[in-house]
Amino acid sequence: MRQARGLSVVLRDVQASQRSIALIAEMIHTASLVHDDVIDDARSRRGKHTVNKIWGEKKAVLAGDLILSAASIALARIGNTTVISILTQVIEDLVRGEFLQLGSKENENERFAHYLEKTFKKTASLIANSCKAVSVLGCPDPVVHEIAYQYGKNVGIAFQLIDDVLDFTSCSDQMGKPTSADLKLGLATGPVLFACQQFPEMNAMIMRRFSLPGDVDRARQYVLQSDGVQQTTYLAQRYCHEAVREISKLRPSPERDALIQLSEIVLTRDK
Amino acid sequence: MSLRQRLFRLPRYLGASGSPRRLWWSPSLDTISLVGSWRGQSSRSPAHWNQVVSEAEKIVGYPTSFMSLRCLLSDELSNIAMQVRKLVGTQHPLLTTARGLVYDSRHNLQLRGLVVLLISKAAGPSSMKASCQNYDMVSGIYSCQRSLAEITELIHTALLVHRGIVNLNELQSSDGPLKDMQFGNKIAILSGDFLLANACNGLALLQNTKVVELLASALMDLVQGVYHENSTSAKENYITDDIGISTWKEQTFLSHGALLAKSCQAAMELAKHGAEVQDMAFQYGKHMAMSHKINSDLQPFIKEKTSDSTTFHLNSAPVVLHQEFLGRDLWIKQIGEAQEKGRLDYAKAWLHSTGCRDSRGYSQPAGAVGSRRYEHAHCLRTYFFSTKLRLGNFTGDLNFVACQIYILWN
Repeated sequence: MRQARGLSVVLRDVQASQRSIALIAEMIHTASLVHDDVIDDARSRRGKHTVNKIWGEKKAVLAGDLILSAASIALARIGNTTVISILTQVIEDLVRGEFLQLGSKENENERFAHYLEKTFKKTASLIANSCKAVSVLGCPDPVVHEIAYQYGKNVGIAFQLIDDVLDFTSCSDQMGKPTSADLKLGLATGPVLFACQQFPEMNAMIMRRFSLPGDVDRARQYVLQSDGVQQTTYLAQRYCHEAVREISKLRPSPERDALIQLSEIVLTRDK
Repeated sequence: MSLRQRLFRLPRYLGASGSPRRLWWSPSLDTISLVGSWRGQSSRSPAHWNQVVSEAEKIVGYPTSFMSLRCLLSDELSNIAMQVRKLVGTQHPLLTTARGLVYDSRHNLQLRGLVVLLISKAAGPSSMKASCQNYDMVSGIYSCQRSLAEITELIHTALLVHRGIVNLNELQSSDGPLKDMQFGNKIAILSGDFLLANACNGLALLQNTKVVELLASALMDLVQGVYHENSTSAKENYITDDIGISTWKEQTFLSHGALLAKSCQAAMELAKHGAEVQDMAFQYGKHMAMSHKINSDLQPFIKEKTSDSTTFHLNSAPVVLHQEFLGRDLWIKQIGEAQEKGRLDYAKAWLHSTGCRDSRGYSQPAGAVGSRRYEHAHCLRTYFFSTKLRLGNFTGDLNFVACQIYILWN
């Protein structure tokens, strides 16, 4: 799916610089995954062992830094300062997203906004900004740049919401990573936040980040009993529709159809 | 001409005579002669250090302390500080790094940034001044060059922090609880990434793709250099790597020289200087950083006698040189003889590598003497390139101070 996102930034008659953006986006994503796996002490990723488990934490961190530096060199060589600004914003958003995840909001009402902001920074910013970057390289019209950005942003948020749903609904073989991973990391994602509206007793668990024995299982049960999964899925659908609405402003083409299809795949994927 | 003689000649060499502006300069003549006395350890008193640095700061226009930490004027600062505080009482290296950073910042040891500023001022504006008309200049330095100095420190600090990550499967019981180390790793990665993200943003704001490429490649060099350092067999197995001094120099350039060299070059690019000036700045930064590293490797070997607490790194310059002179087999044999119950007795290893006596009759390891020759070579090249950069009116003062900083840094 992530590799497919690289293709999603393709527009008619792809320039070498646009292809380069796709590569750079994947590299930035990979670098962030390598670091995230060390932070989360993860054992597996995409069905394989993580870098930190095979080679240790020191090498994993350095590998992430190396990939980031290679991406930056490639970015510089495109020779467009606007594009550099757009993509360095992504790097900053990724880091700030991780920090957002470290902290948590006491107030229930702020929690959802905090969750969506974190989701944008950690996932959607990369997609949105790489879409915008290729459009800047392909066309001078700022209206088109904004359409590309909005498409990327909405698809990105939808993607993450479904990812959070799958953490509850799928089993570990399919996902390539253990499920209830978010709960085990102390994270309250969409399904949990919706479930909490029906089961207020979850509040205490959320505040202590599911740290007591039995919290993870109890929280999981609450979520599956509630309509948290359905509500989150519905929210993801709304973001996808918004993405389709934006991209439909572009003239018809096979690529535009592919992008519309992509947003549907985001909703229906099971891993 | 010996180093000491060159230092005495320096004032005349830099055109000392005449200008009434240079009144503050005369007391510094005493500083030169004190510093020029051979390895005069006592000359490096805090008073001298502060004097030189404050003179440098007068030249560049503002105090450079806490340069790399200025970006932490944000919410993340309270977050990071809170998290690092939780590490107090644990054994995680991040705590040591953080303490060192705050201490060093207070004592103005953010020298990479200062060198970039000095070199920016030394070179001055280029003949292509027209294209820099929109840049604002304070105390002879463009604001973009000041940003670059900060970015250099950010990158250096980020990797310093990332160097402190620990491998969880190598922990001993003496390292304390696993969860402390995991937590420390987490904060170290995030803080380092935060610094790198700020560096990237700073680079984007410079609106110069060549500078971005230079600094990004410097980051890549630095990461590779740190990777080599970590892969070294010297730490666990008490053996020097099977390399000669030229390989050592290549690896050390990556881990210690590339960042300063490329930053100095980038500072020239920002002022639109030509390829020749850029190359000189690169060489200046490279040789200054290399001689600093060799000097620091030399420290355990220039004491008059070893003490029980003397240790040295088995991949430091003197040791690698010694291995090259002696041949690897013989050096490994000597290490073997110096080991007791699997641990290296550094004092014995030091004595083993004794080869010659210096002018005062003290034994010096052969590797140390050779290293000193390399250090001199780099040192003299630094002077050479610094004088080549004399292009403006004030560079006489500037080169003088730059050389002073260089001397005191070493």
